[in-house]
Amino acid sequence: MLAADTLGAYGSTKRYKSLERIVRVNARTLVGAGGEVSDFQYIVRLLDELTTDDYRTDDGIELGPKEIFSYLTRVMYNRRGKMDPLWNSLVVGGVEADGTPFLGTVGMIGTHYEDSHVATGFGAHLARPLFRERQSDAMSEADAEALLRDALRVCYYRDKQSINKFQIAKVAADAPAAVGEPFALETSWDYKAFAAPTKWAIGAW
Amino acid sequence: MARIVAGSQITDAEYMRDISLGTTIIAVTFDGGVVLGADSRTSSGTYIANRVQDKITPLLDNVYLCRSGSASDTQAIASYVQYYLAQHQAELGGPVRVETAAKLAMQMAYGNKNMLQAGLIIAGHDSSGGSVWAIPLGGTLLKVPYAIGGSGSAYITGWCDKNWRAGFTREQAREFVRAALRHAMARDSSSGGCVRTVVIDSNGADREFIPNTKLPPTYGELAAPA
Amino acid sequence: MSGIGTGYDLSATTYSPDGKVFQTDYAQKAVDNSRVTSVGAQRSREAVEKLVVSKLLVERSSRRIHNIDRHAGICMAGLLPDGRMVVNRAADEATNYKSFYGEPIPGRVLCERLASYMHLFNLYWSMRPYGAAGLLATYDDDGPALYLVEPSGVAHGYFGTAVGKARQAVKNELEKMKLGQITCREAVVEAAKILHKVHEEDGKPFEIEISWVCDESGRVHQKVPAEVLAEAEAAAKAALEESDMED
Repeated sequence: MLAADTLGAYGSTKRYKSLERIVRVNARTLVGAGGEVSDFQYIVRLLDELTTDDYRTDDGIELGPKEIFSYLTRVMYNRRGKMDPLWNSLVVGGVEADGTPFLGTVGMIGTHYEDSHVATGFGAHLARPLFRERQSDAMSEADAEALLRDALRVCYYRDKQSINKFQIAKVAADAPAAVGEPFALETSWDYKAFAAPTKWAIGAW
Repeated sequence: MARIVAGSQITDAEYMRDISLGTTIIAVTFDGGVVLGADSRTSSGTYIANRVQDKITPLLDNVYLCRSGSASDTQAIASYVQYYLAQHQAELGGPVRVETAAKLAMQMAYGNKNMLQAGLIIAGHDSSGGSVWAIPLGGTLLKVPYAIGGSGSAYITGWCDKNWRAGFTREQAREFVRAALRHAMARDSSSGGCVRTVVIDSNGADREFIPNTKLPPTYGELAAPA
Repeated sequence: MSGIGTGYDLSATTYSPDGKVFQTDYAQKAVDNSRVTSVGAQRSREAVEKLVVSKLLVERSSRRIHNIDRHAGICMAGLLPDGRMVVNRAADEATNYKSFYGEPIPGRVLCERLASYMHLFNLYWSMRPYGAAGLLATYDDDGPALYLVEPSGVAHGYFGTAVGKARQAVKNELEKMKLGQITCREAVVEAAKILHKVHEEDGKPFEIEISWVCDESGRVHQKVPAEVLAEAEAAAKAALEESDMED
């Protein structure tokens, strides 16, 4: 399961608010991205070429998330080798042909690893600690989604370049990859101390 | 950039700086077409190099381009795209889609992103109706219901968010474009002069020119004497 | 037609006294004598039947129909390696077009580009024309379409056509059909019937390959699903037996 907000920032301006940052590569693979949007669109074009070539081969074999992840690590590292990196952090998620789930992340200079939970940008600082506490490979889909929503909420509270408009994408052994509709999270701003922060501490700021 | 005059070196004179379209440009879809708009100021430093510039360039009969950023870069991109589109039109033997024009422009902008200073808005009408495509600095391509660009756009983002509506009529869209440009020109010193608009629908493109003196005055300024 | 022994057939840049380019004719002959019959019909599917070259050949290992892009496929008749060159070129054209214009290549453009490519080989003494012809099936904004590209570089759009040894018999059958009015699924059955029928006489083992690109396939060019092919072949065999009974 992958999640991201739909913001395309332009410096500190929150310029484009309906930008899909998770794409379905094929029935078994999803890719999510943070960073430079034009470079991400370029990566999407590369992946489209890759999967079209795969389709053309017509041998009944489809690229799995592992192969696509491996391809992306090479693309990213190759461009950093040219001292012209693609300015993105990517997350690849999917299910292998034998049903094993896969999750991996690649950075802009080609650094990569696989894990049971990954996150880019602010998520690496705010979401992963939550994941470490609550994630388990055996957890149910509903629990995983609840955890993901909690993580998104924290990111929304503390990342200035985020908006309350998210998408969750899922892929499972018995469910082909699909990116969900955008939704907003419930947030809390109604603590008494929020309305009058200094009421019980006169003289403070 | 330097010039020798009477033995002394004049470096970087105002009128010799890079000519830039510190600009306000805008394009809006409406039911059945699109409206494009732009101010007419081109600056070189603080000097107004051209006060009646045309920043809305035709790419095809049914597709126009709003240019912002470096004047030379965007002119070069426009020329290339015009050339490739003409070739493409000959191969297809029929009308070219707005999306194709936008994608070609994106290829130019993205493929040379390190050398270019170009913010483009492409809009037009084809068999699937009117559409607007934004190509900001890095070469991202986005299909949007409306787009604003150039230095002046920063002053009107809020106004546009508030006043834009889905399903504008042709007249509403045109009025939105005019008012947005007027507000931007009132606050952005790099935008000014006159307002040019192009309306494109199934009947083709229709240009309009609104001279500076015909623009309504804004807060704190005076109307031009009659 | 043969120019063998006359010396006028040694290169594609030599005309015979009556104005023929024998190399081009030979290439067309290679297609015409190909023991493969390809049928294509607009709206849009193609089918191919082929003789099994050897009993030792693994089933379905020698393929005549290839994907070019998601919306396009081609069925090659004639010399297999020549055909593969054309297929690779078609794939390159599709990829290049997409990377330049950002959208799938329209069928007509792909057809024209392939025709130009094949035509090139009729122009130089150092080359010979491809001994292969391609039935190109596409589905784009203008709807489904079928094209035939021949060794000389000739290309046309068709409602239905055939190449290979039994082409004339197949075309006769196609002309009896109402090609614009049947569904793709019905067309698959008809194609299977025709191929079985024209193959009845020689009694040699053969295989049928059928692909389609239509609304039912989501405008994607693909092999027809195994059960659709099995159904069509069963119907074809039944129809043959029925007509045998009447005789």
